[in-house]
Amino acid sequence: MLSIKQITPWKTALFILMLLPMLLGLSYGLLYSFGVIGLLNTGFTTEHWSDVLLNFSFWKSLLFSFGIGLISVGISLLIALWMVVNWHRDLRRGKLSTLIYLPLAFPATVVGFFIFQSFSKAGFWSRFLYQIGIISDIEDFPSVVNDAYGIGIILASSFIITPFLSLILKGIFENEHVTKFQHIAKSLGASQRQVLMKITLPILLQKAKTSLLLFLIFVIGSYEIPLLLGRQNPKMITVAIVDKAQRFNLNDIPQAYAMAILYVLFLLFLFFGFQRLAKLKTKAYA
Amino acid sequence: MKYFLVLYAFSLMFISCQTSSETKPLILDDYTWEDIQAGGQAQDMTMMMWKGDPKINVYMQEYIKPKLLKKHNINLTIVDGQGNYIVQMLMAELQADASTSEIDLMWINGETFYQLRQIDALFGPWTSELPNAYKIDFENPFIGKDFQQAIDGYEMPWGNVQMTLIYNHDKIKQPPQTRAELLSFVKEHPGKFTWDNHFTGLTFMKALLMDIAGGANVLKGEFNENLYAKYSDKLWVYLNQLKPYLWRQGEVFPENVAQMHQLFANGELLFTMSINDAEVDNKVEEGLFQKSSRAYVPEFGTIQNSHYLGISKLSEKKLTAMLVVNELISEENQLEKMKPSVWGDGTVLQVSKLDSVFQKKFNSIAQRNYAPPRKDIQQKALPELAPEYMIRLAEDFKKNLID
Repeated sequence: MLSIKQITPWKTALFILMLLPMLLGLSYGLLYSFGVIGLLNTGFTTEHWSDVLLNFSFWKSLLFSFGIGLISVGISLLIALWMVVNWHRDLRRGKLSTLIYLPLAFPATVVGFFIFQSFSKAGFWSRFLYQIGIISDIEDFPSVVNDAYGIGIILASSFIITPFLSLILKGIFENEHVTKFQHIAKSLGASQRQVLMKITLPILLQKAKTSLLLFLIFVIGSYEIPLLLGRQNPKMITVAIVDKAQRFNLNDIPQAYAMAILYVLFLLFLFFGFQRLAKLKTKAYA
Repeated sequence: MKYFLVLYAFSLMFISCQTSSETKPLILDDYTWEDIQAGGQAQDMTMMMWKGDPKINVYMQEYIKPKLLKKHNINLTIVDGQGNYIVQMLMAELQADASTSEIDLMWINGETFYQLRQIDALFGPWTSELPNAYKIDFENPFIGKDFQQAIDGYEMPWGNVQMTLIYNHDKIKQPPQTRAELLSFVKEHPGKFTWDNHFTGLTFMKALLMDIAGGANVLKGEFNENLYAKYSDKLWVYLNQLKPYLWRQGEVFPENVAQMHQLFANGELLFTMSINDAEVDNKVEEGLFQKSSRAYVPEFGTIQNSHYLGISKLSEKKLTAMLVVNELISEENQLEKMKPSVWGDGTVLQVSKLDSVFQKKFNSIAQRNYAPPRKDIQQKALPELAPEYMIRLAEDFKKNLID
């Protein structure tokens, strides 16, 4: 066994390796956004920050991303829970497990492209419905990609994270011996519904909550999928930042940095806020 | 923790300090062309260009590259990248105070040139050193000026193209020629017309803006805020009239021209556009567009512009790059490039300055099958506007039409 003293330098080194570049990156962005560094900047100014903070479309993008994230994780959670609760035996082996974990092999860009090809107005489903006469024109197919509500983005994100989530939930299900608790509860006279609501779900959700938060952050931070399946308005925050940084006006780059920093702050707030909340809750139970 | 803070502070100082230390400035006055040849040959060199067109790639990889190797023993590596990617990359190099650049030569035009000059990332002036430069048609405003900016020897014209609208001859007999006709056409065929949210779409909107302003001369020269405000207001009124009848009710625009081509090819759109008049021939030959596809220039005109070659300021192979450019603008290579079966890119040479053999060759190049002859669309060619017009249009398009 390593002693504490032996571990500390390793920890410090790891800390420096991971945290230092991140902090430096953020500081660089911060200095850039205040006009202190950067090729076209002329000196300290708060102009870029006020431009961003007063910009309605920035806040809209941030909220839109957050909403898309919540809905995608929500849908995946429902599907994954349903699968794990009902099929936990079949998930361990056999064709079903292969089928369910297949999406794990797809990179985000491929999923985005796949959803686009299937669900666009000229895509597979539209043509299929047209051929069998349900819609009279491929134009009549509902807008599912590049739509105002981000349905395409939600479909693609859920497709990607559901297998991950079911893997995690399955792990929890087995590690926490949920089946045993279910049996005990049943033998003590609990109904199916009571077992589900009082035993299975609370155990799974309690253990999975940090993972859920991470998936939320993952969806908010995805880029290729909203780029391909989203639209110009409302725009996911990641796409908005890259657009600001790259599209045409070099004097907008400091604004892009300011947006990126606010985005990081938002995620940190989400992460630590949630951790605190979870702690308070645990204390309240105890 | 204390050490960490110290380390952090030091690193921060390190990244934020910017010293300008260009290692060895190249002064071309000291060089004859023989010196440039001697210094430039037998080197490896990297060129960055857009690699999205297979035909262009074949021309560069299988025609130009072996030639350079044979003639000058230059090993040309072509990497993919264009526009803002080049700007970001060179900007990062300058900010990091790099001593050399990853790229030596690059294919640029218009707003990229403007931005690269803004950050002072281009080497120059150098174009007049090249023996082949005298054949370039610098007097032609479509070649000698890039987005109304003087080239000043910082980039060399390479090719010249004009924007066209592409439609399907079987479906549309009489494509719209004026703004009014376009409006009524779009109203009659709702959901079948749009433009992309990138360069091509912006180039289309610039042509409309010039038409509204009453001709190319009104907006000539440097960016004029008053004129822009006056005419762009009218442009937004016009585009908002179109909007409800556009593809997806004008709530979404294709992200790029490739997507628009796709939508045109599968029949979702009746029109697509290209900033290269020869592209329709390429796309038909590739099998993406149907043989009944045609390119045309409406009466209100479309923008004609040139694309150029620039050398990065931090390049260590400037002499090699100049040698390569001199080859790229030779009559032989320009002729090959102009053939519709090769690339179909218009030449930047003034054909009357060439010897009679090449004059004949240039004048007898095979015609394009699906695009109108260049001299016919030349009359409706509009010059590029100053880059700020495009920057503002891009921004205000979002505000006035999308949001």
